Amino acid sequence: MSTLQRTWTRALRGALAVALLAPAAATAQDIAIRNATILTVSDGTIAGGTVVVRGGRITAVGRDVAIPAGIRVIDGTGMYVMPGIIDAHSHMAIEGGINEGSESVTPEVIVPVRDDDQTIYRALAGGVTSALLLHGSANTIGGQGAVIKMRWGQPADSLHFEGAHRIVKFALGENVTRASSTAPASERRFPMSRMGVEQTLRWWFSQGQEYDREWSEHRARVQRGDRTAIEPRRDLRLEALADIMRGDIKVHAHSYRGDEILMLMRVAEDFGFRINTFQHVLEGYKVADEIAQHGAMASTFAEMWGYKVEAADAIPYNMAIMADRGVVVSVNSDSGERVRRLYQEAAIGMKYGNMSETEALKMITLNPARQLGVDDQVGTIEVGKEADIAIFNAHPFAPEARVEMTLVDGKVYFDRNQAMTLRKLLDMLRGITTTEAS
Amino acid sequence: MRGALRLVLALCALPAVLHAQAQPGVEGTFVIRGATVWTGTGQTLQNANVVIRNGRIEAVGPNANAAGATEIDGRGKFVYPGMIDSYTPLGLAEIGGIATMNLRSEMGEYNPHMRAVVALNVDSDMIAITRANGVTSAITAPSGGIIGGQAALINMAGWTWEDMAVHPSAAYVLNLPRQPGGGGPGGGGGGGGGGGAAAQARERVEQQLRELRSVLTTAREYDRARAAGAAQSDLMYEALRPLVRSEVPALVSADTEEQIRSAITFGEDLGIRIIILGGREAWKVRDVLARTNTPVVLGSIQSTPSGDAPYDAIYAQPGVLHEAGVKFAFSTGGASGARHVPYHAALAVAYGLPKDVAMRALTVWPAEIFGAAAQIGTIEAGKLANVFVTTGDPLDIRSQVTEVFIKGRRVPLDDRHTRLYEKYNSRPKAGGGER
Repeated sequence: MSTLQRTWTRALRGALAVALLAPAAATAQDIAIRNATILTVSDGTIAGGTVVVRGGRITAVGRDVAIPAGIRVIDGTGMYVMPGIIDAHSHMAIEGGINEGSESVTPEVIVPVRDDDQTIYRALAGGVTSALLLHGSANTIGGQGAVIKMRWGQPADSLHFEGAHRIVKFALGENVTRASSTAPASERRFPMSRMGVEQTLRWWFSQGQEYDREWSEHRARVQRGDRTAIEPRRDLRLEALADIMRGDIKVHAHSYRGDEILMLMRVAEDFGFRINTFQHVLEGYKVADEIAQHGAMASTFAEMWGYKVEAADAIPYNMAIMADRGVVVSVNSDSGERVRRLYQEAAIGMKYGNMSETEALKMITLNPARQLGVDDQVGTIEVGKEADIAIFNAHPFAPEARVEMTLVDGKVYFDRNQAMTLRKLLDMLRGITTTEAS
Repeated sequence: MRGALRLVLALCALPAVLHAQAQPGVEGTFVIRGATVWTGTGQTLQNANVVIRNGRIEAVGPNANAAGATEIDGRGKFVYPGMIDSYTPLGLAEIGGIATMNLRSEMGEYNPHMRAVVALNVDSDMIAITRANGVTSAITAPSGGIIGGQAALINMAGWTWEDMAVHPSAAYVLNLPRQPGGGGPGGGGGGGGGGGAAAQARERVEQQLRELRSVLTTAREYDRARAAGAAQSDLMYEALRPLVRSEVPALVSADTEEQIRSAITFGEDLGIRIIILGGREAWKVRDVLARTNTPVVLGSIQSTPSGDAPYDAIYAQPGVLHEAGVKFAFSTGGASGARHVPYHAALAVAYGLPKDVAMRALTVWPAEIFGAAAQIGTIEAGKLANVFVTTGDPLDIRSQVTEVFIKGRRVPLDDRHTRLYEKYNSRPKAGGGER
């Protein structure tokens, strides 16, 4: 390793240490952000407004708000304050692989959360305060996920978002059928076609119904005092399916094509439950009325298309068309890169299909909150809600927008003034003598 | 009267013609009137007109005019030179995952004679979608091998690839053999006492480098011999002549500091012009890049920094490079995302790059880097009329592109996406499906 490389490496390690050190110092401090433009999402925009945060909650929002004495005041002049961004599709911070791909139906497994994924920090730097961590898309019925807050520096157990839905991942289409596999049929796994996906669902939910019935009958016998009643064998997988049908676990379904989206809704209806949220749902615009009528929501990409055949008809107008037809739409990242600039993705809705600014902002705040079951806790700047807040230097949809500060539960978890940035690193390095071999 | 009737009928048919699939555009004489014109020369003209005739920009200014021209109301709007995505597979690649739709690389290591320009799908959906947002040109490049072929600078509209080509041979794609562990050629990087396999790998890379140097040296000798009429034609060496004469540069993939330094040194040693492609860590060697006048085609700004780097390294880098005097261009690296290359530039603006410089890196700088500055890149009389009209800042996602001109043709803005939008947006709203 050259001297120059050693110097860079030392400096970069120092920078990383600083970055990691900062969040451990996040304290529950009462804060007021004054004189900012507040994008409440729930109730319009407040120019020259103030937000007061106490005990981790928003306690006051408005123009003429009294700031309690002695609390930390952030000067929000020129800044824009919005609810913390919520990513409804992420695979960050998951220990090990994201797919239990051995079988096509595995709702009994659950993703284990890890606390040391740098993506959490980078998401904070992009204004994200919570995310839904999902099982992968290799299975028709995959595993359960986890909803977390970006409490960077806290241990894994402390990342869970209390009060969020229990969520299970379904998947349809090319990934599940392993469409791009070149192996012969004899070496592949059922289902191999979209038709097989439907039958996989129907067979397993029938099994789940049977299991549920056996247990209900057993419990009834016990209630009647029947001492000869023998417990049916417990099966975690079938139990999870029964929970799904009962609505205790919400279904988020990875889907692309209009036909498979419609198919899944009809299967769910046949078994007495509803799909909570379609994920990706790139052809959602083709069956938007049906999605709205079924009562499902949608979480999609803003602009990705053409990367595989089932994404060939994806259009950036998808969000606007679905929203126009009454579907609750969010835009998500499904990536450690896009999570950093979800505000750009939301703005795409304004460009393609003329979504209003409020509708576009909802796609990264209130709407994903609804999809995660936390809309009574976060997703807007309203008194009583948890203080998950992102502060920008400009309107989040403007080209010059960047995040200055991100609060989770009222604590500052990201502050650009404290963060290691490229320019700060260069300033530091100017003080180090290097031998430049050129 | 028959002639007049026919003219009227033809004019009535015009909208239908405009909406035909992937039309390269309607020819004519046009005046965009009363707009704010960002020329790319350092001047922004207020309340100015742009006259387009015979494929070229005829005049620019508050008094520019043309009798009988088709009028385009530019009041309250902005005119910019068409933007350029400086590294894509546009026209070569379609839907991902389908091998037959992605014939982008040839077998073998030395393919300087493979020309992307002859293998373009003129009616690619991706091309029409790209131009609808004001991205009027792109570098499209073959991949693979050590010398993958010749990248072309093409317009996003044309009847044939000949019609689309601005510079059929804009740069060679050169992938320098690399040591495993991220180092550059010549033994830098991750080395350390490896076992047999590691040593074998290193030796193989060294051997490839010797071979590459030999090929280029032979190419130079071939060039001289051919010039003196003393050698028989060889397709591969013939194709290398512009490279060894420094007429056409090589696009060299290099991301780490070692790789970039090695690429620059290699270019100096072999007497060829180098453009760095990727440049993820260019900030570490910005002084060397500036001093050697080595331009950089930046990889996608919508990327994550490597390992230890500051969280905003990729976003802040363009601003840092600009301050050091490095010339660069933006690229998305793909076909389906090329239309949004200005939003890559917007991220750089948010983290310190001046807007004006960002626009230059999308227009005049890539034109200069690829030797096409006489043709495109600015709004100046005499250049090809590659311009677009927008309701606001092109870096602002909320802006709408209202007109696009490529080679002076008014290009239709409908594409696969607008057609699907129109179809499903006009579905009668009902209570829902039948059940």
